[in-house]
Amino acid sequence: MIGLRNRPRAADAASEAADCALAASGDTRAFERLYRKHVARIHSLARRMIGGDMADEVTQDVFVRAWEKLGTFRGTATFGTWLYRLAINLILGRRAVLGRERERLSEGDGILDRMSYPERSPELGIDFEAAVGRLPNGARHVFVLHDVEGFKHHEIAELLGVTAGTSKAQLHRARMFLRRHLER
Amino acid sequence: MGDTWEQLLSEYLDGELSAVDRCEVEAHLADCTECRVTLEELRAVARRAAALENQAPERDLWIGIVQQIAATGSAEPGIVDIGERRAGRRGRITVSLPQLVAAGIVLVMLSAGSTLLLQPGGSEPVMQSEAALSQAAAVQAVRVGFDVTEYDAVIADLELALDQGRDRLDPNTVRVLEQSLATIDRAMLDAYEALEQDPTNSYLSAHLAATMKRKVELLQRAATIARAAS
Repeated sequence: MIGLRNRPRAADAASEAADCALAASGDTRAFERLYRKHVARIHSLARRMIGGDMADEVTQDVFVRAWEKLGTFRGTATFGTWLYRLAINLILGRRAVLGRERERLSEGDGILDRMSYPERSPELGIDFEAAVGRLPNGARHVFVLHDVEGFKHHEIAELLGVTAGTSKAQLHRARMFLRRHLER
Repeated sequence: MGDTWEQLLSEYLDGELSAVDRCEVEAHLADCTECRVTLEELRAVARRAAALENQAPERDLWIGIVQQIAATGSAEPGIVDIGERRAGRRGRITVSLPQLVAAGIVLVMLSAGSTLLLQPGGSEPVMQSEAALSQAAAVQAVRVGFDVTEYDAVIADLELALDQGRDRLDPNTVRVLEQSLATIDRAMLDAYEALEQDPTNSYLSAHLAATMKRKVELLQRAATIARAAS
């Protein structure tokens, strides 16, 4: 499973497969190359999903976990896909530790319902990414996974442990909120 | 615009509605300016989200990752970094595609030569596709991990053993062996030169390490045959 965005090109996939194999044999320099290649995507995912204050820590955890699990990487998917899935699982697992995800999703409904969609005004001209960060957790996760990363609702439902209907509803609410924060 | 219609706009935008619902929404959109405006705003949000750029962290996290790897004891001895071994002569010049293709051809020849020599009990080469040979070379390259620092000593010992038993080998075997070793040496020299220009090139590092290992294996096999013939 991978979002439609960020699918690697064939040449990139071949290159990262070679580095992955070297890293699996203990070559930290090859692993550093994989880190350099993927850190922006993983860090951005972490920042959008879990917040900027924890993004550095989570990103480091993802790569340390990847190093530890490289022996289980069979190459049936690209390393990028494998790493990305590992990152999502770790991020969602972290959220599960910090709180009860299902309840947060339910709470998210209420929070967004209570948040009146703001009218446009100069002071609302905040950065779009910052506005995404102000979404309740459930809506933010669905929005990031669907609209930023390209996952389908049934995939998101599987990842988050919710129904596809909940995913659709969260996405719509997130979009309705964010439409007022588009840069003009 | 009623809530019912509004709720359907994102699903309409994403193509998630059934044909019947899609037709109903389209009929409504034809008459509802507010819904058309909202739909365009939702579309703009989705486009904006899809266009978000990934950004690297403000500080380099690699040092922390390496420290954690070391702290957990999960660091393993890696393949010797040839670029580091040849420190002090680093440069950064892009290796051209023809160079890489040429390196690939050399590796295929190398694989074929080794296959020929290492066939037990005969000198008939086993026909393999270039793709299979390349794949085999790649698989071997990533499984190398031998101690390159001992390479020179190992090679010297094996060459001495082979010289001592060369007279006992079949002339055809000696000829194939020498051709293969010459091919290996050329491939290694090419790889060294390419790595001097691009020390971080993982393909070249892997290919060089695999080539060095292949030379060791070739000499080991030849020395074994020579000893057995004595």
